[in-house]
Amino acid sequence: MQQSIVRMLDVTKRIGGRTLIDRLSLDVPNGEVFGFLGPNGAGKTTTIRMMVGLMSITSGDILIDGHSIAKDFEKAIRHVGAIVENPEMYKYLTGYENLIHFARMIPGITAHRVKEVVALVGLEARIHDKVKTYSLGMRQRLGVAQAILHKPKLLILDEPTNGLDPAGIRELRDYLRRLAKNEGVAVFVSSHLLSEMELMCDRVAIIQNGRLIDVRTVHQSKAAAEANAKILVEVDNRQGAAEVLAAMGQQTAEDADGYIVIHGDKERAAEINAALVNAGIKVYGIRAEVKSLEDQFLEMTGGERIG
Amino acid sequence: MVDFLNLVRNENMKMFRAPRLFVMLGIVIGLIFVVSIIWFSYDYGSLTSDMWEVTLVETSVLFWVVTIFAVIAASGTVAEEFSSGTIKLLLIRPWSRSKILMSKYIASLLFALFMTLVFLLAALLINWILFDLIGNAQSSAGSGFGSALVGGGEESDAALITRYYLLTFLNTVMTVTISFMLSTIFRSNVLAIAMALFIEIVLNNLLQLLQLFDKKWIDYLIFVHLNLTKYAGGNVSATDGMTLGFSLSVLAVYYVVFIALTWYIFNKRDVAS
Repeated sequence: MQQSIVRMLDVTKRIGGRTLIDRLSLDVPNGEVFGFLGPNGAGKTTTIRMMVGLMSITSGDILIDGHSIAKDFEKAIRHVGAIVENPEMYKYLTGYENLIHFARMIPGITAHRVKEVVALVGLEARIHDKVKTYSLGMRQRLGVAQAILHKPKLLILDEPTNGLDPAGIRELRDYLRRLAKNEGVAVFVSSHLLSEMELMCDRVAIIQNGRLIDVRTVHQSKAAAEANAKILVEVDNRQGAAEVLAAMGQQTAEDADGYIVIHGDKERAAEINAALVNAGIKVYGIRAEVKSLEDQFLEMTGGERIG
Repeated sequence: MVDFLNLVRNENMKMFRAPRLFVMLGIVIGLIFVVSIIWFSYDYGSLTSDMWEVTLVETSVLFWVVTIFAVIAASGTVAEEFSSGTIKLLLIRPWSRSKILMSKYIASLLFALFMTLVFLLAALLINWILFDLIGNAQSSAGSGFGSALVGGGEESDAALITRYYLLTFLNTVMTVTISFMLSTIFRSNVLAIAMALFIEIVLNNLLQLLQLFDKKWIDYLIFVHLNLTKYAGGNVSATDGMTLGFSLSVLAVYYVVFIALTWYIFNKRDVAS
């Protein structure tokens, strides 16, 4: 097993009487894009704020690169770059001044490195303009630039695709993947957009109501989803079809739109088709419905309940 | 140490930014200029005033503007980071919160010092041109008006001005510290600035009336001591008989409490906005 860049040990956050995060334990492996999924209000941002020391931890601990964020903040945060929520920069300064500002706070960042990062995020043309003239996409790029200035081992991004257009999302996604692959940076991304996580992440943790529900690798969950696909069959005579299928020993159900629902893979679909046609039932259509991560997620969390 | 100076440089960069700085400089220099011109036009026939005297009077009447600008800068340095959300980016660097707050406090004091020097130099220059060059006043300690104003003795004009400015600057430092604390606690620069205005304009003048009551605890209120210029003439105040040493001791106690509270709250606060 690879070493973990982040180790959360029974992290709990209580404010007043409310428990926002409840004994969350999680390991983020080195060099992976790690998704952090949950409906709104599940505690994603709270967790991230604790990871970067913006919020205190009620009990438990978070270790980053082996250093406790609570007790050894300066060492722990050293290898972290982050955007928490929106990339809020100093609007009255230019993009370049913003980067210089953050570069000064960490020793060893040269002017050359700043230039390199500007080129990396593709902001050369506008870097000397005031940030208030930037579009959201450009601010997002500047946000990424300040986060990677010091070549962090861990990049934490909170809802990074919020407000980006499809091209921007795609670009960010490709960039994060490249960063993880080529530079070995672990990326911790939170989102409530699951389809996006599916494309971006190696591994996804799902939380709800401050509790960890599941951690799974995206690849694995796709395979599992295919094996468990639903087949929807549209026929003229549902009664007759149900009898034929029952005779085959196939469990069936009917959904709200009048389709017969069968669990099985492609082979099974062909067999069922043949049996129905042989029995003289008209088959208008057969289609497989592969469950996306999103469906699985909704199933697991019971919809977008805020609570 | 060099690294820490970088933090102060950052805060300076944010604080000394155009156009706010130019507006402030324009108001300070403009006010001095207008008052000097008016004084000069009234005085032109007789020419009894000299540059030191005019500068001293202008300082006692107009210096609150400098304090207010210093307060605006100081309260903005913390509160604006919270209101714009940039505090999150600032606090996730390998620096303790105490050091970040310290860099902001130092930058606030540097800004106050800068505005004070601008005020002093602008006043001296404008009044030197008007009253000494054009007006040809005898620039000597002879007029005695300035000394009479603060009850000074045999000091030279320059020494008197220096002493007056040191005392005034201490007042500004205290007011800046109070507004720095308020903006850290409430994360609102409006409240901090309003409070500082209240202290500067209302309390500084009216609360001295409190001393008419013969109660011991009144002597320990901070407001009674904020206006230190009553000691410009000597270490014992002519108006209420208190000593500079006593006032400084009371202020020092308040100062330590304010600073401790500011740092404690800033270190403890959960940043969620």
